[in-house]
Amino acid sequence: MAASEARALERLLAGSGFTEKPAGLALLSGPGAKLHVASALPSRAAAVAHLPTGIEPLDRLISGGLPRGRLTELVGRRSSGRFSVVLGALASATSAGEAAALVDRGSSLDPQAAIEAGVEIERLLWTRPRRVKEALAAAEMLLSTGFPLVAVDLGLPPLRGAAPEAAWVRLARAAEVEGAALLLATPYRVSGFAAGAVVRMDDARFAWLGGGAAPRLLAGVDARLTLDRELRGSARGGATLSLHVADAISRRRDRGQGTGDTKRNRSSSDPSDLAFHPPVSALA
Amino acid sequence: MSAPRVACVVVPLFPLAARLRSEPELAGEAVAVFEGNGNAARVVAATRPARRVGIRAGQTLPQARALLPDLLARGRDLESERAAQEALTEVADTFSPRVENAGEGVLYFDAEGIPMPAGPGDPEIRLGRAVIAAVEKAGLPARFGIAASKLAARVAAGLPDSPTAVAAGEEARFLAPLPLAKLAPEMELAETLERWGIRSIGELAKLPEGEVASRLGELGRELHATARGIDPRPLEPRLPSPSLSEGMELEWPLVTLEPFLFVGNAALERLVRRLESQALACRRLEIGLKLDPEGWDARAITLPAPTRDVKTLLTLTRLELEARPPGASVVGFTFTAQPDRPRQAQLSLFGPAALSPDRLATTIARLVALLGAANVGSPRAVDGHRPERFASADYSPPPPPRERRAPRTGRGLLAIRVLRPAVELEVITAESARLVSVKSTNGAEPEIAGNVRVAAGPWSLEDGWWSAAPASRDYWDVELAEGGLYRIYRDRTSDKWYADGMYD
Repeated sequence: MAASEARALERLLAGSGFTEKPAGLALLSGPGAKLHVASALPSRAAAVAHLPTGIEPLDRLISGGLPRGRLTELVGRRSSGRFSVVLGALASATSAGEAAALVDRGSSLDPQAAIEAGVEIERLLWTRPRRVKEALAAAEMLLSTGFPLVAVDLGLPPLRGAAPEAAWVRLARAAEVEGAALLLATPYRVSGFAAGAVVRMDDARFAWLGGGAAPRLLAGVDARLTLDRELRGSARGGATLSLHVADAISRRRDRGQGTGDTKRNRSSSDPSDLAFHPPVSALA
Repeated sequence: MSAPRVACVVVPLFPLAARLRSEPELAGEAVAVFEGNGNAARVVAATRPARRVGIRAGQTLPQARALLPDLLARGRDLESERAAQEALTEVADTFSPRVENAGEGVLYFDAEGIPMPAGPGDPEIRLGRAVIAAVEKAGLPARFGIAASKLAARVAAGLPDSPTAVAAGEEARFLAPLPLAKLAPEMELAETLERWGIRSIGELAKLPEGEVASRLGELGRELHATARGIDPRPLEPRLPSPSLSEGMELEWPLVTLEPFLFVGNAALERLVRRLESQALACRRLEIGLKLDPEGWDARAITLPAPTRDVKTLLTLTRLELEARPPGASVVGFTFTAQPDRPRQAQLSLFGPAALSPDRLATTIARLVALLGAANVGSPRAVDGHRPERFASADYSPPPPPRERRAPRTGRGLLAIRVLRPAVELEVITAESARLVSVKSTNGAEPEIAGNVRVAAGPWSLEDGWWSAAPASRDYWDVELAEGGLYRIYRDRTSDKWYADGMYD
């Protein structure tokens, strides 16, 4: 009796296929399968479009530019070149004919400098909140309006009225809904896990021309860029960002042409002829 | 020459209809609108549930309450009636360029040669249905009549089977079977005609004109002419109002903001609907508050761009009233919109998407409410040499290019973060004006302190020497040993030091 029961059980198991392969695998691979392994699902990161910042080392580091629909946090201490990157991103977006918005908590923008950096200021909406919470509210309104790029610069510490982490999540969500690139420039990390990418700017080194008996002249700054939080497809490691003082570049060219003019000229150069980025230290 | 065609739109029980438009939550309730004070107050109009129990126009309020103790009584609201009448004429404006506002829920418009709605049947009946639907959309019931004269159209609009069209030349035949009361004769004339046994309009029309005139005078002659369908009064078109307003008188004085915003929201919604019907938007919102016991508070909000967003208008109203409370309880209000054309969006197939002008206007209005008008705009460069100079203009971006452009390669320029206002510094100098250390004065932000590692300068700046506030400065670029690269200056006039920028 027991032997016949055992044979019947073996037949049942063989017929149902349980002994051949696990049930989960059958569900995954059988005809009309509804389940998929996670790795086979289409990646959201792969479909992310980018808005180039026009700053080549940064674009290379974050796989082509600021990801649209994501919050990119740019963390840099004083004089790290953080505000220059913000202007570069605004210049890139507006020169492509897109509208852009700057939420400038410290009221730090010099319109003349923005024009020299290549920003088409007619396309730029400039808001100047005093508190971080106002900056967040303004950024959310601008994102929901459909601005393709919203840059939020929180200025210099202390950051008054710091916002809870949920507020940054909400802001990142607004960027995702509208497919906008959201650039958050801060002196220290604030957005927590809401940021899609975090780029840190540090180790700033300033380059000076002249010395000794010759008058000194600021040439620029080299800063180290590192990815704190990576996007899929981002380059590993870091990069060096070199930023020049506009009139120092023209002076270098003048010196190359043998004019020997050491008088500092604070007027801007022709915007079209300055698209090179040798390390600043090479100038000095 | 074809016969003129005059259309008439009548809102039945107009004082009640205007009140229900302002308070739509009363629909379906037993409501009576009364005129007068205390026991002398008389019912002007009542809703169907109230009429069903016997409440009629002319009864005193105590009589009406005796019939129905739960009766909701509302005083006549002239502000609501004015707004309703305006809304009615605006609806007619969408059908004809020549509209006469006859008041009290009645208007006429010239229907000759205007485009008729498509569909089967009599085109004038189709027009009537379209007009009734449009008036109902504006929150009012309506009846419609069309004829060759204003009188015939008015009588046709008063009939229950609306819309009613009276064919050209058929006015006398149309009027003949109707009771004489439809012509609303003077009471004395009506009594005389009653004694003569004249009941219908047709019976009056059959009498010889000369005999009627000799017995009843000029008024009788005019009534006889109208009974024959002759109406010499021409259409008197009104000029469209340059502004739109909505408001109402309140049952009780309001002392807090929230209940006011609740009723104000409904008024703004009606105002925006009217603006939408004329493809306009609000450029300036004027708020008039009737105060208790007397007085009037007027204020205006200018919007950065025309908008039709009720939420924005309500938010701005709230902020305005919070900033400057009226100082007394409010018993009535009016919102007046100065209209303007809304900004038009330009669509592009291949270029970057343009921002929606409506959404942009709303956002700018909200940003202005949040940050102040001075802190929202598009930056502009200003002639001069002072680094802190700037200007701001209204944000009105140019249309995006038709084809997407490649972004320009960055120049890699080191930017300056302007410190506004400039941070006052204490600077220690050594021999031959060498800078040793800098430190911001107590309480100044951002805090700047450190020993000077490298300093470059000075560069002289002189600006506005001819003005009352000239700038005469010596500039240095200083790198601090503790980090940070600043642009500092010594004011030659006051001999004080400041930092006005940071390389960043």
